[in-house]
Amino acid sequence: MIDSSEHVVDDLAAYALGSLETGEHARVDEHVAGCPSCASRLAEYRGLADALPLALAPISPPSDLWDAIRSEARRRRLRPRMRSAMGTRWFRAAPWIAAAVVATWLVTWNVRLQSELTRYTQGPQVEKLARRPARLVILTGAAGSQASARVFAAVDGQSGHMAITGLARLPAGRVYQLWFLPKAGPPLTAATFTVDADGRAWVVIRVPADLDDTRGLIVTEEAAPGSPAPTGPPLLEARQWR
Amino acid sequence: MSVDPAADPDLVGRMRLGDESALESLYARYGGLVYTLALRIVGDPELAREVVQDTFLRSWDGRETYDARRGRVPWWLMGIARNRAIDLLRSRSHQARMRERTAPLPEIPTTLPRDPVDAVVSRRAVLDALRELSEGQRRAIELAYYGGLTQTEIANELGEPLGTIKSRTREALERLRKVLGPLIQSAGGRTS
Repeated sequence: MIDSSEHVVDDLAAYALGSLETGEHARVDEHVAGCPSCASRLAEYRGLADALPLALAPISPPSDLWDAIRSEARRRRLRPRMRSAMGTRWFRAAPWIAAAVVATWLVTWNVRLQSELTRYTQGPQVEKLARRPARLVILTGAAGSQASARVFAAVDGQSGHMAITGLARLPAGRVYQLWFLPKAGPPLTAATFTVDADGRAWVVIRVPADLDDTRGLIVTEEAAPGSPAPTGPPLLEARQWR
Repeated sequence: MSVDPAADPDLVGRMRLGDESALESLYARYGGLVYTLALRIVGDPELAREVVQDTFLRSWDGRETYDARRGRVPWWLMGIARNRAIDLLRSRSHQARMRERTAPLPEIPTTLPRDPVDAVVSRRAVLDALRELSEGQRRAIELAYYGGLTQTEIANELGEPLGTIKSRTREALERLRKVLGPLIQSAGGRTS
């Protein structure tokens, strides 16, 4: 491989602007790691890139946006406290303490989950799913709705489950339908469900596509028993997850 | 009311301890800036809203951590927002992206809004520096930074050789570096 220094210098600007081709990052990283001059130049370019938006004339965000952020932040309040603890030196120096904290958190999470399972008894299948490692996707209500849902997609299979709150109860002949939107191809159905009088439900879902190959999850209202493709607007949606 | 940037790291520290009022203060200071950037990149108010929400929640729940050695807090927030917005842009269907690209990017504003003194001074400096670039240089860095395009995509978009785009991008940042270097360094930006 490589790599005249001159060529890397040409690429530093593109790198700082996030415009380098995907495969070229490693080559530049490797060069910069051993070249203080290019590392310094790259740092300067990144500072300049960060400053570019200062030239934009400010536009006021929607007036209700802060309320939405605060509401979600309150929901996540426990998580940053745990991360803060994880960031301390003593924690890094004592992995067994880390394991204890994680175990405590898992127990707490499981207790909460089991509590919810008790309220939405769906049998041993859901209970079994709840104990498996899973990725979490949070769907939020579209158009300012307070509804939300959490999808737990098992990392070791094609199933999962979903907890929903805040959706309106539907008339007979109508259902909610969860869709995976693949990066390529048509929407794929994952579940149909209704909610109880409190607007809640806990349902087993199919995971029809890998989350890494999916650009979004949405919930729409459809005619029972479900549609082959979404016909209504998204009532809940998620575009990003970890 | 003037914003004191020196107090920002303290706000971030309080926020990491779960102080909601610190998050609110940070949003009050920079929510507009982050929304402006997000809207510029994604071109859609609903998506921009999503980016802003994700940016502040990531700073709140610790998925993104602030390092004071790498510049000011608003620049950190804008870095998060820019990455999230570009991710969002790239995750949308090819068809939708093509539709967006047919619409020209908004021009860099030439009038200054009323704003805290520090922001006005910074904006003036960046605007002046951008005006010193050639049209081709400015277009190249706009498509890279706001458009989320790779150098190859920019070359295709503008119908120019890839080497020309790379040179133009580097020359643009070199010129900006000469003009804005003191501003970046005085702000404790990424200069080392």
